[in-house]
Amino acid sequence: MLDVYLAREVEGLSYQYIGQSQVRSDGIEKVTGRAGYVYNMEIPNMVHAKVVRSLVPHGRVKSIDVSKATKLPGVLLVFTRDDVDAGIYPFFGPVVNDQAVVAIDKVRYVGDIVAAVVAEDPRIAEEAADLVEVEYEELPAVFDAEEAVRPDAPLVHEKLNLPPWGFSDVRATLHPIDGTNIVNHFRVRRGNVEQGFAEADYIFQDTYRLPAVQHCPLEPHATIARYESDGSITVWSNTQTPFLVQAQVAQTLGIPQSRVRITVPFLGGGFGAKTYPKLEPLVAVLALKTGRPVKLSLTREEEFITITRHAATVTIKTGVKRDGTITARQTKILWNTGAYADIGPRLSKNGGYASVGPYRIPNVWVDSYCVYTNMPPAGALRGYGVPQVSLAYETQMDRIARELGFDPVEYRLKLALDEGDSFATGDIIHSAGFRELLRRAAQAIDWKDKSYKQLRGSTVRGKGIACTIKSTITPSTSSAEVKMFEDGSISLLTSTVEMGQGSDTALAQIAAEALSIPVESIRVQHPDTFVTPYDLTTSSSRSIYHMGNAILLAAEDAKRQLRDRAAEIMRVSPESLEVRDGRIVSKTDHRYGIPFGEAVKGVGPSHGSIIGHGLFSTVGGLDPETGQGKASEFWFAACGAAEVEVDTETGKVRVTKYYASSDAGKAINPVACEQQNEGSAINGLGHTLFEQMLFDNGQPINNTFLDYKIPSFLDLPHDLVTEVVETPHRNGPFGAKGMGETAISPVAPAIANAIADAVGVWVTELPVTPERVLQALQEQNLKHDGAGEGNQ
Amino acid sequence: MRIKIALKVNGQQKSLEVDADRTLLEVLREDFRYHGAREACGAGVCGACTVLLNGKPVSSCLLLAWMADGAEIETIEGLAQGEKLHPIQQAFVEEGAFQCGFCTPGMILAAKSLLDQNPEATEEQIKDYMEGNLCRCGSYPKVIKAVKSVQAKMGGGQGAK
Repeated sequence: MLDVYLAREVEGLSYQYIGQSQVRSDGIEKVTGRAGYVYNMEIPNMVHAKVVRSLVPHGRVKSIDVSKATKLPGVLLVFTRDDVDAGIYPFFGPVVNDQAVVAIDKVRYVGDIVAAVVAEDPRIAEEAADLVEVEYEELPAVFDAEEAVRPDAPLVHEKLNLPPWGFSDVRATLHPIDGTNIVNHFRVRRGNVEQGFAEADYIFQDTYRLPAVQHCPLEPHATIARYESDGSITVWSNTQTPFLVQAQVAQTLGIPQSRVRITVPFLGGGFGAKTYPKLEPLVAVLALKTGRPVKLSLTREEEFITITRHAATVTIKTGVKRDGTITARQTKILWNTGAYADIGPRLSKNGGYASVGPYRIPNVWVDSYCVYTNMPPAGALRGYGVPQVSLAYETQMDRIARELGFDPVEYRLKLALDEGDSFATGDIIHSAGFRELLRRAAQAIDWKDKSYKQLRGSTVRGKGIACTIKSTITPSTSSAEVKMFEDGSISLLTSTVEMGQGSDTALAQIAAEALSIPVESIRVQHPDTFVTPYDLTTSSSRSIYHMGNAILLAAEDAKRQLRDRAAEIMRVSPESLEVRDGRIVSKTDHRYGIPFGEAVKGVGPSHGSIIGHGLFSTVGGLDPETGQGKASEFWFAACGAAEVEVDTETGKVRVTKYYASSDAGKAINPVACEQQNEGSAINGLGHTLFEQMLFDNGQPINNTFLDYKIPSFLDLPHDLVTEVVETPHRNGPFGAKGMGETAISPVAPAIANAIADAVGVWVTELPVTPERVLQALQEQNLKHDGAGEGNQ
Repeated sequence: MRIKIALKVNGQQKSLEVDADRTLLEVLREDFRYHGAREACGAGVCGACTVLLNGKPVSSCLLLAWMADGAEIETIEGLAQGEKLHPIQQAFVEEGAFQCGFCTPGMILAAKSLLDQNPEATEEQIKDYMEGNLCRCGSYPKVIKAVKSVQAKMGGGQGAK
């Protein structure tokens, strides 16, 4: 059935809506300021919550005195562990239920929630929060993953609370080590690395360190919960995972999922920060306890310490032969998952196998550790582990190439995975156009032109390239419904969250193409777990492929019903009919037919509506000992190329040109793909050049926009060029995969490689601050006789 | 302490009494229900709270409401004429100069102020002027494109890049 859609292009038929840049359907709402965000929502009779946060990184909660806070006029409730009664299950988390709505025994990071105040007014709530007095028995704390895996390290969690349910891909490979801070040890064992290293002529080993960074969605986390008169609860939340949140809130309150309604309007940015339960379990409890609708919205300072990107230490050892063949690769990654695991166990799996890179390597050994520390929790952030590991493997690739005397682009072309090759996990690669991406990237920065090397002066130029590979959550499920009304108008019901990526428009394009009606005639319903069918998550760049396929199936179901009803009306066989331009018509004579609306009504009293349903599910999984099997339904291939100028007197690195390309399979909405390429590249620039979260003994010290800079207009490279490569995927809707994250990972290594090309200095730590570059240049000068500007 | 203020908001005369410590952003959002301006940093850095005060962009999260006494305030809500979008809004829609949309009202108002003052702004001047409007989604390239397309329609600007 799906073959039909791919076949149309092969036959030379063009699509009506697919592949055309479509003006986004959410444009008018957003440019007029009318677009709804939970941050802006007001519910009648609503009250406001403010949380009390731990000031110590690790400690037992000895006592909480709420008396002063409770007395403040306008305060309805000060909620602490003393209010957790038998009706409330306080623990939550997408893998381990290690986080609590309020601290039960310990606090585990500076910012951990200890209590929650609910008041008539946000200012009163804030004042009352300051009046809550908490006494801690401080415990030794650990902040660094390398420290936290030592045998004498303080334990962040004494035991793991694994719920009975779980994601199959995560649970099958979950390997916590009891009595340690290691919540997951993911392994890849392929071939024989010992033998591989023995066969190598050269061994390269490097260690890379990346700090925590933050997503910084402009709209902070916000949740409103209201108990309804029938005992159900409505939760408005800016979540990327409505159904996971539904399940968690049901678990927290001990009520059936059918009584938990999660409704999601537009998100003011997500980037992974808004995946999995965050504020919802707490706010649901506060709504239960107060009997009023309760809203909790975070400040920027709180946003920074709610969820971050994993700081990581990546060690990579590669064996190569004189001719460049890679005989073995061994990697070890320590992921600092902070005080609560969040989705760290999956990220350390996906990031773990991703650390091998997009190359043909027969012998592979990966040890990927997800480690607890007394830092803010780390979770999904655009790139999902690949940015950290790709800095390692792509800068080492350049180092290997240069030491062996190969051109870095030619070297990659030689070794890059091709169609039919097998990846580190044993997955067979399909639709990942690395070679095409590399060639175009090289061309985009005129790789062969090395004339800049002749220039003299204190500012030195360099060029660098990087290519990366990323997976998508496998297995997973998406379902969709197409609902048609008597007048022929259509609603598309999915639980895909519109967080700026343009999913509303692109999914409508897919539905429009399948149903042969204009895109504008489709109204896209935003997620509402009472109304829209199940979807795993809007993350992992998975929605075009999974939800797109679900929509195609739903459209087929709707068309079948339309043909059946039209056949009855027209007194012909359904097989003789087809759907065309909003009508059901005879295959042999398109003039003979009826419009959708007539078919919906059917024969006799109006049947009212037609609902087409589609469920799309993938299979896969990895062996828990060897990490072999099927890691991903499809693969994201990306390439980045950078031209930089390094000022050798100040250490400042300027990216003069950046080229980002992603293999999307098929660009459903080209302008939206450009937005993703540009957005990913700019995001990556920040992470590479200046973003880092800074702490002093666990105290966050730069958690404001004054101190933590995200890229502005002035940080744009002089030239930012992006491209979408289309290597059709045999099972993707119209050949499409997706690309929301694809272009972010090559940014750091491409820039690092360009810096090495310019001044011969290798970046092993991010961000690439001027201080670090200067220090590296000075160390390099000390190695050479006499002063110099640094050469390569 | 409460202070009586009178100001024009989107062409409408408003008189009210405000606590001395309330910000213009709070008054716009809570008293007038204008939700286009948003607090995303609380420090006057990100520009999501941008409104025009006497034609110039200000961070309304830092401005005390009483300081706006006698001023003319323009918010995003006053830009479109009913269903007819302002040319800048139209350009943003057509060029896809937005993604999540949270920063977009501030972005558009800053662009309006720029073009009102300097219709011939170069790309460098656009970037410089709008440095205070942050966009995490990375819509900067298309915002520049949208501003240039408005310039082209107005007959000014530096031409297409």
